[in-house]
Amino acid sequence: MKLFRNSLCLTTSLLLTFSSVHAKEFLVGVELPLSGSYARAGKGNLEGITIAAEMFNKHNPKHKIKLVTIDDESSPAKAQAAVEKLAGQGVVAVTGGYSTTVTGAGATAANKAGLVYMTHGAPGKDILERGFKTFFRINNTEGYTTAISGLLGDMGVKSVSIVTSSLQATAEVANDVKKDMAAKGVKVTVHTFDPGTADFKSIINKIKLQDRSEAIFMSALENDYVGIIRAAKVLKPNIKALVGLWSLATPKMATDFPDLMINVFGTAMLPYPAEFKTQEGKEFVETCKRLYNKPPDYLAQLGYVQAQVLFEAIRLADEKGTLTKGGLPAELRKTNRDTLIGHVSFDKNGDNPNFQQWIGQHQAGGKIPLVWPKDRSNVNMKYPALPW
Amino acid sequence: MSALILQSLYSGLLTGGYYALIALGLALVFSTVKIINLAHGEMVLLAAYMAYVMENSFATNPVVAMPLALVIASLIAVIIYFLISRIKKHRELNSLILTYGIGIILTNAILITWSADIHSTSNEAMQKPITIGPFSSMTSELIFLGVSMLMVAALWWWLTRSWYGRAVRAVSSNRDAAKLMGINPQNTELVAFIVAGILASFAGVALYCTGVIQPSLGTALTTKAFIITVLAGIGSIPGVLIGSVLIGVAESLTVTLYSSAIQELTGMVLFLLVLFVLPNGLFGQTRRRG
Repeated sequence: MKLFRNSLCLTTSLLLTFSSVHAKEFLVGVELPLSGSYARAGKGNLEGITIAAEMFNKHNPKHKIKLVTIDDESSPAKAQAAVEKLAGQGVVAVTGGYSTTVTGAGATAANKAGLVYMTHGAPGKDILERGFKTFFRINNTEGYTTAISGLLGDMGVKSVSIVTSSLQATAEVANDVKKDMAAKGVKVTVHTFDPGTADFKSIINKIKLQDRSEAIFMSALENDYVGIIRAAKVLKPNIKALVGLWSLATPKMATDFPDLMINVFGTAMLPYPAEFKTQEGKEFVETCKRLYNKPPDYLAQLGYVQAQVLFEAIRLADEKGTLTKGGLPAELRKTNRDTLIGHVSFDKNGDNPNFQQWIGQHQAGGKIPLVWPKDRSNVNMKYPALPW
Repeated sequence: MSALILQSLYSGLLTGGYYALIALGLALVFSTVKIINLAHGEMVLLAAYMAYVMENSFATNPVVAMPLALVIASLIAVIIYFLISRIKKHRELNSLILTYGIGIILTNAILITWSADIHSTSNEAMQKPITIGPFSSMTSELIFLGVSMLMVAALWWWLTRSWYGRAVRAVSSNRDAAKLMGINPQNTELVAFIVAGILASFAGVALYCTGVIQPSLGTALTTKAFIITVLAGIGSIPGVLIGSVLIGVAESLTVTLYSSAIQELTGMVLFLLVLFVLPNGLFGQTRRRG
């Protein structure tokens, strides 16, 4: 019996060793802002990419993804240098990037090196016009614009003031929403501000006394939202709703700024608490809790999907023997599958035309249910409703 | 329109007060020790994180963090001075590189310790809207405008009336002559750095109570403080307050009368214009004494 048990242990160990020895390892470069002004986004994204690698390696004993991470310090020049360094280290592809400007620099270097660059951090339009052959992204500004315009349209507002950061992607969404709403006969006023702006009272006062709009749409980043909503709480313009873009309808904002966020709308992919119904979704949440001791946020979710789609394409290209012959872009273009953010496929420019956002609303108890579109929501939106 | 302008002027005044609080410490060191402390913004930021720590850990009013912020910011100021005092040659130039490096180290230390998340006070009393006639603001903004004015007055009094303040000015004016008068230049400069640390701690708590903090903010704070210091003119403490309010009001009026898109640009244009007309700044001394 003892001999049998020892033999069994030995065989199992050998099998495990054999399989791990024969797991083909692929280096994947991760270029992200882990310091600088986009560090929060970069860290959230890295969590998602790490979870994707962990889950991929668990389910694919013959293939192993090894991540090589470089901090681009939220700087275009550093992003370019990081991708060049990763190319020199022999990575098969690069993923990461945040902000269209920084990501554009990284994607340029990847394109020169013939490496696939996969991101969720460059939703702006102009990056697609640069003729990159190896650039892929899972999201775009159109997905956000549709959600914002749809919500404002369903609210039936007659006038809207847009407060937008001059950053490329936020300004692009603001401009597209302006066009959409103007086409519907809604009066639109745009207030563009520099990313360094801290005091928004003058802008809000203009909205209160000059624009007299029914709603404010904030196309901005987390720190801007806090400043804008605070200024609005002080000046109390006669509006019916405050609507924001990315990074707003998140549990982090609900926890950190409960008094400012209540009743505020923002784009979202999932309600909070998140309800994943698929096996993959449940495993994603469990892995995140195991690795980071917290439930995943939207940044981790986007990072997970971009990495998971990439890793799967690497596996398929390797199995077909095309990976070393430049077959990865072609394999990615064949992607046509459901993911945690919805359906993903890529057009000839590497864009995902299926990308769609929904709208969540901060409500009592720190919950953020989806409230738009109606077929996605099981909770009524509170409207008119404001944080004050 | 008048309501818009009045609120705009008021917002500019509040912003100016906040800018002055940030710039005072840098202006003091620059005008007395002739060192541009490029880590000043990070010192302010570190003090702001002390306010965050106190509020987050003990659910207290962030102002309670003042003693802790004072100790930490002053300690950092002492360390910076200690390192600067090791420089033997070309102190002005080498101290730039040194303080820039210290700024990077502090930024990354903040990033590692408190992550990249944004933070701001959730204290109700601090955020409470307060309206006086046509003027509206948060309570904290009004409080720190008062603190800012008080700090300017206190610093001016200290520099002109106290023995140590006079010693700092004497060393700044003529180091060798001051030495002959029995003043220890090293101790005097150290005192100037400690006072700058104290001012940075007030600025930090104000920053946390009125705005949003994140690890990458330090450089922007230093840049703003430097612009105001040069605009005010080297050696003029009341000039810092006037220069700050001027920039604050100009930015605010630009938003109200024209466009928010060129708000930051207006401050820079004003700065360049003043320097073009008055190369020594608004209240800078044209001749050195002593």
